Amino acid sequence: MAVIDFEFRNSIIQKDLGNTLAYCYQCGTCSGACPVAQVTNGRYNPRKLILNSLLGLKDNLLLGTENNFNIWGCTVCDTCDEMCPQNVELTEIFTLLKNMSVKKGEAPDYYTTQAKFILEHGKAIPLAPAIERRRDQMGLPKAPKVDKKEVRALLKETGLEKIIGPIEEEKKEGEK
Amino acid sequence: MEEYDLFPGCVIPNRLPYLEDSARKVFDKLGVKTFDAPFNCCPDPVGFNAVHHKSWMVLSARNLTIAENDNRSIASLCNGCTQTLKAVNVELKQSEEERASINAVLAKIGREFKGTISVKHFVQILIEDVGIEKIKEAITTPFTGLKVACHTGCHYARPSHIMQWDDPMEPKCLRELVEATGATAVDYDEEVLCCGAGVGNTEEEPAMQILKQKFDSAIQAGAKCFVVICPACYQQMDNSQRNLKKLFEKEYNIPILYLTELLALAMGYKYDDLNLKLHRARPQTLLERYNAV
Ligand code: SF4
Ligand code: SF4
Repeated sequence: MAVIDFEFRNSIIQKDLGNTLAYCYQCGTCSGACPVAQVTNGRYNPRKLILNSLLGLKDNLLLGTENNFNIWGCTVCDTCDEMCPQNVELTEIFTLLKNMSVKKGEAPDYYTTQAKFILEHGKAIPLAPAIERRRDQMGLPKAPKVDKKEVRALLKETGLEKIIGPIEEEKKEGEK
Repeated sequence: MEEYDLFPGCVIPNRLPYLEDSARKVFDKLGVKTFDAPFNCCPDPVGFNAVHHKSWMVLSARNLTIAENDNRSIASLCNGCTQTLKAVNVELKQSEEERASINAVLAKIGREFKGTISVKHFVQILIEDVGIEKIKEAITTPFTGLKVACHTGCHYARPSHIMQWDDPMEPKCLRELVEATGATAVDYDEEVLCCGAGVGNTEEEPAMQILKQKFDSAIQAGAKCFVVICPACYQQMDNSQRNLKKLFEKEYNIPILYLTELLALAMGYKYDDLNLKLHRARPQTLLERYNAV
């Protein structure tokens, strides 16, 4: 049986990102406009995500690593936000749900891997030597260096490391 | 003309430098002056924001402070970067509470968000700062008769209350710029459909189904190539054609050109000047017809 969790519901509505949740009247415009819903046979349904958030049915949302498509199936095209007659900011509410899913360790690897790259290099894609040579051949200027110390200090302050775990080099140092 | 800090993002300079090269060539021809700056990842509105919203805001705000210190607005080459930087810029300008909370973090490295600059997609700069007439004057190799499917991608004008630019569901500016080269922007049903890259991070097949829908609709309307303005869309559309063949036993081979590549070609640069052989779906045969090789 699904358990209604009021605290969960409030934790969405009380946040800046989630404060439009209460305006949803379940018309289904979002799901009708959603490109992922069209091709996944009920596996992804934004209206239902909003309904379960409204009712505080946490157990219907965070379903574990194997069944995370219900949240992570969103392709973030922002069509639903644009079409919703009630101006519910769906993708912002989904950002909150995804952040919770990450905390529970239920997100697809792609997301945490990218976050670790950003934590380590300050960039989602670091500059590889082969591309650096290609840039030189094309006569492109050297890509400006990112101040990794600043990036690291900021992400330490926000607590990101605690959420996604330490990056590889630190793990190794820790093992020594 | 206004001068900008160039925000090339992560994907373009570090994976697709030929796109950056085409943009710089077009900016030079049109007199758009940009400066390089040591920005970090924008960060990715689809990836990093989903992992930790506050970290996403803070890193974006750091970028904004760099441009603020240069006293220049930001010219972005990528939809995703534009959306992230613009969303955070707007949010921090509007909400004192958010600003205080983000500035408390930035203070650790001696930075402060002040809210003095703006963020623009390069399409906006081409339309507003340069203007269609001046672009038309710079065209030496017109693409008369070339049928193009315009794909603006999702994070260019949505969500509209943040982006405040062009039409979120019927974008017009890319069409105008494509048509300035003499080409024809075809009407196709799935013009505003996503490229599918986002869901592709989780599962491949729905992403491919979405992309197939898009391709089929454009090809049916007679398009011979796509023109795009976002490197994530570019990669998804250029790299996935082999996958589409595997999944649906259908050969696509449709060139995906960055808007700045099409413009550079129309301004006289050739296939080799722009390293277009680095595209997976090579546009060589198509461009031979227009003396652009
Ligand atoms: S379109 Fe808006 S109001 Fe309608 S179901 Fe979706 S979120 Fe609710
Ligand atoms: S943003 Fe996500 S939920 Fe909304 S329409 Fe796009 S894919 Fe569907």
